[in-house]
Amino acid sequence: MQILSLSSVTKTFGGLVAVAGVSCGVDRGAVVGLIGPNGAGKTTVFNLITGSIKPDDGHIFFSGHSIKGLRPHRIVALGIARTFQTIRLFQGLSALENVLSGCHCRMRSGLIASLLRLPGQRREERLVIDRAMGELEFVGLAGLWRATAGSLPYGDQRRLEIARALATEPKLLILDEPAGGMNEQETLELRELIGSIRKRGITVLLIEHDMGFVMSVCDRVLVMENGILIAQGTPQEIQTNPKVIEAYLGLDDDD
Amino acid sequence: MSQGNAKNHNGPSGGLGAGPGAAANGERGYLAGGLTGLGLLAFAFLPLLLNAFAQNSAPYWLDVINTVGLYTILALSLNVILGFAGMFHMGHAAFFAIGAYSTAILNLDYGWSIMATMPVAAVAAGVVALVLAWPIIHLRGDYLLIVTIGIVEIVRIALTNNVFGLTGGSNGLVGIARPSVFGFRIVQPQHFFYFIWAVVALTLLLFHWLENSRFGRALKFIKEDTIAAENMGVNTSRYKLMAFVVGAAWAGLAGTIFACRMRTISPESFVFSESVLLFTIVILGGKGNQKGVLLGSFLVMGLPEFFRGFEDKRLLVFGAALVVMMIFRPQGLLPSKPSRYKLPEGWDDRLPGPGSPGPPTPGQKP
Ligand SMILES: Nc1ncnc2c1ncn2[C@@H]1O[C@H](COP(=O)(O)OP(=O)(O)OP(=O)(O)O)[C@@H](O)[C@H]1O
Ligand SMILES: [Mg+2]
Repeated sequence: MQILSLSSVTKTFGGLVAVAGVSCGVDRGAVVGLIGPNGAGKTTVFNLITGSIKPDDGHIFFSGHSIKGLRPHRIVALGIARTFQTIRLFQGLSALENVLSGCHCRMRSGLIASLLRLPGQRREERLVIDRAMGELEFVGLAGLWRATAGSLPYGDQRRLEIARALATEPKLLILDEPAGGMNEQETLELRELIGSIRKRGITVLLIEHDMGFVMSVCDRVLVMENGILIAQGTPQEIQTNPKVIEAYLGLDDDD
Repeated sequence: MSQGNAKNHNGPSGGLGAGPGAAANGERGYLAGGLTGLGLLAFAFLPLLLNAFAQNSAPYWLDVINTVGLYTILALSLNVILGFAGMFHMGHAAFFAIGAYSTAILNLDYGWSIMATMPVAAVAAGVVALVLAWPIIHLRGDYLLIVTIGIVEIVRIALTNNVFGLTGGSNGLVGIARPSVFGFRIVQPQHFFYFIWAVVALTLLLFHWLENSRFGRALKFIKEDTIAAENMGVNTSRYKLMAFVVGAAWAGLAGTIFACRMRTISPESFVFSESVLLFTIVILGGKGNQKGVLLGSFLVMGLPEFFRGFEDKRLLVFGAALVVMMIFRPQGLLPSKPSRYKLPEGWDDRLPGPGSPGPPTPGQKP
C-alpha cells in the first residue's frame, strides 16, 4: 500500500527543467532513499511534495488525497513533515519552543482562549509541553530544552529539526540530507534514530549523499539525474544497476 | 526509544546546559520585585502626590501622564503587529481614528453612552483592518510599510472629505460626552488617570497572555522565519491577518478613550506623523517587549515635556537620540526576552545531569 505517489510531476524554473515527469511511490512504513548527483532535482521533489512550490504538471497523492496545490501548512496537517537541507530552525528560540512549533497544528486553542488564558488553554499548554519534551527526549536533547537553537552544535541542530518535525505527528517524514555535516559518531546515532522513527510506524523518505548510510538504512532507493528518475529498487539492485553506476556512482568520489 | 542518543551532549555541548548564578538571580529578583511594587504603589497615588506637592501644575502633569498612558495602549496594540509578528506597519493611526470616529458618531448622532460604543469602535477598526489588510498581508517588510502608510492617508482623506456626511469634514466632531464607568462619571484628569491606566494594565495582562500562548508563539515563529513556520504547520497568512486585526481593534478601543477625553476630534489628530510616533515607541522601547514599549511611551511622549523650554531644539535632540540608539542598540532599549516555560510534573527528575540546567544561552543574532 503506497502512502505517497507522484505521477508525471514536472517543474521548470525559467528554462531549466528541474523535475521532468517523475512518477514514483513510497510504501507505507518503508524507509526510502532519494539519491542523485548535485542539482539532480531531489530537493525540488521534496519542495513539491511539501507544497513549498507548485508543480507545473502531474499529480501528487498522499494517503488517497490529492495534495497538489495545497499550501504547506495544510499538507503538514494531513501528515507530512520535513527537515531542510540547510538547517532552518528558529535560531533565536529555545529548543523547546522549536519543537512546540511542530505541535501547533495539533493544538486547538484559538485567539480568545489565548487572550483570556482560559482553563482549556492552560491544560492544553501543559499537555503539549509534555509532548514536546517527549520528542526532545526521543532525539536525545531533553537536557538542552532551554538552549537556544542557534547555540547548539550542528549535529544537535539536525536532530532538533527532526524532533520539531516529529512533533507534527507525521505519517510521512521527509529528511533532506539529515547526515549532512555530521561526524561518524553522529551519523551512527542518526541511523539508530531513523530505526526508532520507523518503529513508531512513521514512513521515512530521505535524501542523502552518504552511500553507506543510504544502503544500510533504506529499504528502497530512488535515483534521479537531471530531473529524471533513472532507477528505483532495493539497495542491492541500485548498487548493481549499470545506469546508476554510470550516471551517479561513477561520478561521485565521496564514496 | 533511542537511549543511545541521550548521552551525546555531555561532550562538546555540555557547557550550554549548565551555568552558575541561579541563586543570585533569585535575590535580585526579590529586590527588583520589591522596587517594582513600591514604584507601582507610588504611581497609583500619583494624582494625590501631584496635588500635594505641585498643586498648580498638577492638572498639566496628569494630562501628560494620561497622554503617555493612551499612547502606551496604542503602542502595545501596534506591538502585537510589529513586535510579536514582525510586520512593518506604519499606518496604525488609521485604526485609532476609526475607533475615535465610531465613538463620536454613535454618541453624537445616536445618543449611545461612551462605554457602549467601545466594543463597536474596536470591532469597526478590526473589520476595516481585515478588509484593508486582506490583499496586502503577504507583502514583505518594506513593501508592507509603504502600503500601510497609504492606509493612514486614505482614512485621513476620507475623514476630511466628510464621507457619508458623518465625519464633519476637516472641522471634525465636537461635543462628545464623558464616559461613566459603573455609574461613576469620568471628567477630571485624575479620573482619566485611573481609567486610562487601568486599561493599560489590562492591555499589558491580556497581551502578555496572548504572547505566551499558541497564538503568540505562532506570531513569533512567523517573525523568526515565515517559511519555516508555514512548513511546520502554521497558517502564516491567517495568523498575520489575525494579528493585524487584533492590533487594529485594540487601537480602535484606544480611539474611544481619546474621543471622550478630548471631546473634540478632527482628522488632524490622526495624521501620518502619529503613526510614525507609535512606530518609534515600539522600535525604541524594544519590539516584542511590553515593558520596553511602556518605557518607550514614557520616553517619547513624556520626556519631551520636561524640555518644553527648548521648544525648537526639542525635536532635534529627540531625533539625534534616536539615531544614536539605532546605531548602538538597534534591538531597542529592552529587547524581547525568551519566554519562560515551566516543565510539567516529573520532567526535572527525568532530565540527565544533576539539578535543572542553567539559564538559556541568549540567542545572538548579528
Ligand atoms: N527556486 C528555484 N529557482 C530556480 N532554480 C532552482 C530553484 N530551486 C532549484 N533550482 C534549480 O533546480 C535544479 C535542481 O535543484 P535541487 O536543489 O532540486 O537539486 P538537488 O538534487 O537537491 O541538489 P543537491 O544535492 O545539491 O542538494 C538546480 O539546477 C537548481 O539550481
Ligand atoms: Mg538538495
